[in-house]
Amino acid sequence: MTVNEGAINRLLIWTLAVLALIVIYAPPLYLVAISFNASLQPGLPGPSDLTLRWYAALPKETALMNALWQSLFIALCTAILATLLSLLAALAYFEIKRARSIWFLVMVLPMFVPGVIEGLALSAIFTHSGVKSSATTVIAGHLLWAMPFAFIVILTSFAAVKPSYLMAANDLGASRWRQFSDIILPLIRPGLVSGFIFAFLLSLNEFTRAFYLSGRQNTLPVVLFGKMNSGASPVIYAISGAILILSILVVAGVVQLASRTRTS
Amino acid sequence: MLRAATFAARFLPLCNGQLDMPFRRTLLIAPPLAVVLLLGVAPLVLVLVWSFWTWDPATYWIKPEPSLAGYGAILDAGRWTVIVSTLAKSLGAALLCTMLAYPLAYAIHVMSGPRVQMLLLALITIPFFTSYLIRSFSWRLVLGRTGAINETLQALHITSAPLDWLLFSNFAVMIGFIASYLPFAVFPLLLSMRRVPPELMAAARDLGAGFWHAVFTVLVPLTYAGLFAGFLFVFVMVAGSSTEVQMLGGAGASIVSIMINDVMRVANYPLAFAISVIMLVTIFGMVLIGNAFFKLSSLFGEEAE
Repeated sequence: MTVNEGAINRLLIWTLAVLALIVIYAPPLYLVAISFNASLQPGLPGPSDLTLRWYAALPKETALMNALWQSLFIALCTAILATLLSLLAALAYFEIKRARSIWFLVMVLPMFVPGVIEGLALSAIFTHSGVKSSATTVIAGHLLWAMPFAFIVILTSFAAVKPSYLMAANDLGASRWRQFSDIILPLIRPGLVSGFIFAFLLSLNEFTRAFYLSGRQNTLPVVLFGKMNSGASPVIYAISGAILILSILVVAGVVQLASRTRTS
Repeated sequence: MLRAATFAARFLPLCNGQLDMPFRRTLLIAPPLAVVLLLGVAPLVLVLVWSFWTWDPATYWIKPEPSLAGYGAILDAGRWTVIVSTLAKSLGAALLCTMLAYPLAYAIHVMSGPRVQMLLLALITIPFFTSYLIRSFSWRLVLGRTGAINETLQALHITSAPLDWLLFSNFAVMIGFIASYLPFAVFPLLLSMRRVPPELMAAARDLGAGFWHAVFTVLVPLTYAGLFAGFLFVFVMVAGSSTEVQMLGGAGASIVSIMINDVMRVANYPLAFAISVIMLVTIFGMVLIGNAFFKLSSLFGEEAE
């Protein structure tokens, strides 16, 4: 779209856009910078203050490490389940013609349930039906949180599957299964990978539901929340920084992958 | 993961054409629907039912005697004001986010070359998948008494003492909301701008409309669905949020999620459930009404047809 906005309007729009991005990014990046500062006082590190010592100290923090492993395990299970179920749901979306809009809504609605209410409702049911809080109960809560996102990503990736491809395959005698495995699956593979990774990160970073549903071993965000409120320390900056950097790099990689497959 | 996907796929269409259509459809629909119904819908229905039961001090749980005590308790101790203020905060944050998201979405969709567009899209995608907890926490380091802004202001001799209202205030909470949920407003806008034929804006300009005139008479009406979806997403996310207020709010600050937390600390289930029901009715009412006016699904899937 080429529109002549005029120089002043262009400047105004870019200023607002950049301002919006600063609001989103400046504080987390500031936290990452602080995490490399040798000083105990939070502040921007000078070139001579740069250090990795807080990161090096992380493996000795057993409470954080145990929580991290628990979170990684839960995120992995959540991501596998969310991807598989979303794939089924997306395939179903194209099979049903009339009730599509309702099906879409059914799959996406859990996203709108506030975390506290979902966590409370699930934990009330689990406790009073004798289910002990554990990794499994957290996975149940996280599945509802991650699945709508995975579903939308995978559904959007079906744009690559032109109906004419399937019609041609059908005319040439390919079974439904072959159409799926030889045409649909390769075409939506980037969507499946993105959906999986997004579900993983959503679960890894989820706090409110896990707060209600985790058992003896808390997840990392729950442990972090406690530590953040009982006095900040450089170790907290380091683990937060590490998770932020990792999330940013992974998502950036996924976006790049998606755009590369779109152009090729 | 892909191996897992092929594994599941092998089970899914066992239907090499010999399975009839309705059966295949059932096989596809059943597992995701079961998860949504069992984990999503059933607990909420139970919450609705339980909100009308009676608190039983003997068991620290509830007993099946019909009662409106939970709803009555909302009127006590100013609890309803927390609900009202939560809705007001959601409204404010949703308006601010949509207003800020529109120029951002316009800059991404219209004013960027392919490379910049890619970069900006990545920057808008990343916040969805980073920790809201850590991002809220990072504002403490910026807004605190010894935070980046106060230190800078004092170093520049603009203020002589730290500004106290920056952190642990409604101001900080609102900033936290915008930082957390702005991307939710940008994405629907981008999706709906993509559906606007590019010639329309150019034509309006050629025919002599000023830029803002063209924006408000051509682009904005054609992107109402995106605007509304963005507004709705932010409203709903803020209405259910807790971390921003917990991390950045002042001593008396509350929001529905925190009130539910506090009520649960004394195990007052009927009250917690009653508050939940009121919030769920509000949220789902908005989503369903919104969906009736602007088909939300049309923003996402329809392209593939």
